[in-house]
Amino acid sequence: MAGPSPWATHLSHAGPCSLAALRTAWLRYPNLLRRYLFSTDHKVIGLQYAFTSLFFLLVGFSLAVLIRWQQAYAGQPLPLLTLLVGEVNAPGGIMLPEFYNQLGAMHGTIMVFLGVVPLAVGAFGNYLVPLQIGAPDMAFPRLNLASYWFYAAGGVVMLASFFVPGGAAMSGWTSYPPLADFAPQGQTWWLAGMLLLVLSSLLGAVNFITTIVQLRAPGMTWFRLPFFVWTQLITSFLLLLAFPALQAAAILQGMDRLAGTSFFLPSGLMVGGQAVDVAGGGSALLWQHLFWFLAHPEVYVLVLPAMGIVAEIIANNSRKPVFGYRLMVYSIFVLGFLSFTVWAHHMYLTGMGTTISAIFQATTMIISIPSVIVLSALVLSLHGGSIRFNTPMLFALAFLPMFGIGGLTGLPLGLAATDIPLHDTNYVVGHFHYLVAPGTIFALFAGIYHWFPKITGRMMNETLGRLHFAGSLVTMNLIFFPMLMQGMAGVNRRLWDGGAIYQHAEPVLYLNVPMAHAAFGLALVQVFFIVNLFMSLKGGRRVTANPWEATTLEWAAPTPPRAHGNFDELPRVYRGPYEYSVPGMDVDFLPQHVPDAKAGA
Amino acid sequence: MIEWLGMPVGASAHAVEVDRLMALVHWLMLVMFVGWSTYFTYVLVRFRRGRNPRASYHGVRSRWSTWAEAGVLVSEVVLLVFFAIPFWSRQVDALPAEQGSTVVRVVAEQFAWNVHYPGPDGVFGRTSSDLVSADNPLGLDRRDPAGRDDLTLVNELNLPVGRPAIIWLSTKDVIHSFALPQMRVKQDAIPGVLQPVWFTPSETGQWEIVCAQLCGLAHFRMRGIYRIQTPDEFQAWLAEEAKYLPAY
Amino acid sequence: MTIRLLTRLATMAVCTAAVACGGGAPQDQAATPAAPTAAADTRPVAELGNSTVSGVITFEGAVPAPRPVRMSSDPGCLPAGEGATSEALMVAEGGGLQNVFVYVKDGLGDARFPVSTTPVILDQDGCRYTPHVLGAQVGQPVEIRNSDRTLHNVHTTPATNRGFNFGQPAGVPAVTRTFDAPEVMVPFKCDVHPWMSAYLGIVPHPFFAVSAADGRFEIPRLPAGTYTLEAWHEELGVQTMQITVDGTSPAEAAFTFKPAS
Repeated sequence: MAGPSPWATHLSHAGPCSLAALRTAWLRYPNLLRRYLFSTDHKVIGLQYAFTSLFFLLVGFSLAVLIRWQQAYAGQPLPLLTLLVGEVNAPGGIMLPEFYNQLGAMHGTIMVFLGVVPLAVGAFGNYLVPLQIGAPDMAFPRLNLASYWFYAAGGVVMLASFFVPGGAAMSGWTSYPPLADFAPQGQTWWLAGMLLLVLSSLLGAVNFITTIVQLRAPGMTWFRLPFFVWTQLITSFLLLLAFPALQAAAILQGMDRLAGTSFFLPSGLMVGGQAVDVAGGGSALLWQHLFWFLAHPEVYVLVLPAMGIVAEIIANNSRKPVFGYRLMVYSIFVLGFLSFTVWAHHMYLTGMGTTISAIFQATTMIISIPSVIVLSALVLSLHGGSIRFNTPMLFALAFLPMFGIGGLTGLPLGLAATDIPLHDTNYVVGHFHYLVAPGTIFALFAGIYHWFPKITGRMMNETLGRLHFAGSLVTMNLIFFPMLMQGMAGVNRRLWDGGAIYQHAEPVLYLNVPMAHAAFGLALVQVFFIVNLFMSLKGGRRVTANPWEATTLEWAAPTPPRAHGNFDELPRVYRGPYEYSVPGMDVDFLPQHVPDAKAGA
Repeated sequence: MIEWLGMPVGASAHAVEVDRLMALVHWLMLVMFVGWSTYFTYVLVRFRRGRNPRASYHGVRSRWSTWAEAGVLVSEVVLLVFFAIPFWSRQVDALPAEQGSTVVRVVAEQFAWNVHYPGPDGVFGRTSSDLVSADNPLGLDRRDPAGRDDLTLVNELNLPVGRPAIIWLSTKDVIHSFALPQMRVKQDAIPGVLQPVWFTPSETGQWEIVCAQLCGLAHFRMRGIYRIQTPDEFQAWLAEEAKYLPAY
Repeated sequence: MTIRLLTRLATMAVCTAAVACGGGAPQDQAATPAAPTAAADTRPVAELGNSTVSGVITFEGAVPAPRPVRMSSDPGCLPAGEGATSEALMVAEGGGLQNVFVYVKDGLGDARFPVSTTPVILDQDGCRYTPHVLGAQVGQPVEIRNSDRTLHNVHTTPATNRGFNFGQPAGVPAVTRTFDAPEVMVPFKCDVHPWMSAYLGIVPHPFFAVSAADGRFEIPRLPAGTYTLEAWHEELGVQTMQITVDGTSPAEAAFTFKPAS
């Protein structure tokens, strides 16, 4: 039989080393762990979130590369694969379908719950919100610490599930029962991991809301808040109100699996020709309602902070105020409310009648309007600007058309009639990847390049940054646009052989190969980023506290901001967040904290 | 537009409507994207730092963007009210009469489509989970008089062209999704639910039944074959299949 | 400075996490209990005898017409599968009944016998399991092969042993599994090809056989004693008989099955 997976061999070697290292560290630096690992400083926690979530983004992305490779070369032996993922998952270099399904489920879970959201909210939100509102820290620093460690624990549980008998969750990131109810124990680990992540998010959300409501600096009125803070506020409400539905659902599914209940199992099921021994009487559809009640607002959790980052960077680099600041704020309020009313557009084909489907189609069309408004406002903000094309701005600008494609391709999916041929095809996959990958993740990259000098006092390398940008833009489009074409031709998602068995897939099947190569290309291009990130920590050009000549409060703090307290003295706020190119002034930016008298012409 | 999108051939009566809406939506998307990108490109070139060293505090003042947004809203309302919703109520809520239709049961399971025809008497025989076996995946009771003439097949569905087909869809185990791409039909099979789906094939041909919902490790090859035949071919096929019926 | 310390600590954190998951995660697959009972068993190994029990299993009544199996649901199984017939009830011209599993059900007491390390082979060939009925000792390796150019999934639904369900795409190496408790029979099924089924009898000793096409079976090397023999057929049920052997000379046993009413 197959020996233990090479992953395990590697891990078991790590055992004594790290415990000893931990002990040595504890002895040598008595305060070290408290200062950097269990710190209550929002900046340290933000960086912990950043490093952890970047690590998970890399893990989740690696799974995606395997998925793309498998779809392009299904069933062709690749001995390297056995070395990578073990004999158990790929005997003879051929990936087993059950492992392929694990890759799919865990790619989605890791990217959404362990990568993008923690980076957008946990890292950016934590680091920036107190700085941007002029607060010394978050309202509940210890809650913040707990929130990070629940997140880290959730991540460990999710990763560990790859090594349990039967492997990780394999029923899609949506975990639809009854399939998930009958799946091997990795699914139970997935549920446990989700509970930890939900807990982390809820603690974080309470903290953000309290901080933004209570800790704004004197003079920081609601409509002087940077747009980024608004997006974090709405995001926190979404997390707070939507996640409990998934929490309840996860507990119910866990009970179905462990305690013999049948919340999601109707009577009379037969699996493999044998009657399933459960009480029955449950509903498989109930899970879908609970899951999407979370997962649709979750989409806006992915999107809103990205919009916030892009707004900050566009205002700064076009050297003018954003267009329609208040309108944008109102729009994301509406977006937040409406995001709770559209969940069932993921379920048009479950047997929905006209009335219900009409309601959800209508709300889905309505929610596109505030999104269009925010996106338009961001483009219009450029009009009349004096645009600097630096790396953060390039990423922020590319966000706009890429997010646009993602949004537009949502239209045929939002109408039930056109959803019939497209539902569960690669068109859907292309649609949401355009929103999240060259959309949200581009915004997050933009944010990293933009705020890196504030965090470290050094710039990231511009040439590497541009290479990273251009390479990512090209390869991402080469991966995701063919998905739209395949989906239109009727190729379904989650197919081990990439659709090779189906005749109707034949005209677009060849696309799997360039997609796989582009995925490898995308991986290579990320090397520019990783090298840049670590090299710039030591070797980047040194800069002063406000290198971008920005107006918001984080740039008023010293670089890096003071541990536990941020500012030399707490700032006072005199004006709105984007006072660039104010007529009659010599300099083209007027920071929020500078009194009118000093801001003289 | 439809040829350009690369959809599979549409071979049912309602496929025309689905495809028309698909084309309309994609026209709207194209117009929005092209218009929007043109403006975006213009702004990037016109307001680059080299060309415009000093930004304007006020930026755009015209209201045309509001009109553009209103245009989007109106287009969406039109698509919704005049196309999408009426289509759904015609195609989903209104089931045609069983007389004059071909009525078939399809029972999904990991990883096959069981197809059940009522036979000449037009009545489905009794089925029971107690009778399920490898030879009899539907658990059809052949002792039931109504069940003696029933045809059961795996992964094979034949239908006559030009006559409404009503499929009563169900599943034995997990959620599957019954998709006939050329018929523009896709319907989830949910455990515990008996769900009808109907369409009128308009062209003859042989295509594939697709499982569109992840249903386990062999989901990717849960494929069946469906044939749309002329009425004569269909009758001949029914007669041929009847020869396989067990004798009682 | 801060960053350097932070990265160092992050590395440590990853290390710690690695211990946590490495330590808590058994590596081998669930359904592969690698015969742990054999290792812990301290009973002395019993001697084999020299009695061979053999006989013919007959089907009483008209020889039923072979039932067709239609493989058209997966074109990948055609044309090899054209005209295939069911293996559930296979009767030879003279009435010999194939695919009956015969084994010593009782009478060996608590004796322990050497476990064969030669694997029992279950092949998937032409969208059929070959053989359709087979036996193995507790702890004896069962090698499951896929000789087809299509995917099969191997789905067992045992009552006492731990079941498994895995996919075997074309071209993957054979998978070897063992079973750690006696069980007659463990059903095997391929969910992709619903007609595919096999039955594996797991017994705690080497005294079992499967009747051949002519209904003959042979159980060699029985020690002296009085035993209960059981014959199992997937459609016709089970029959038992008492038999006494002296441990040196051969003995005869015959079963007759009647059509299920």
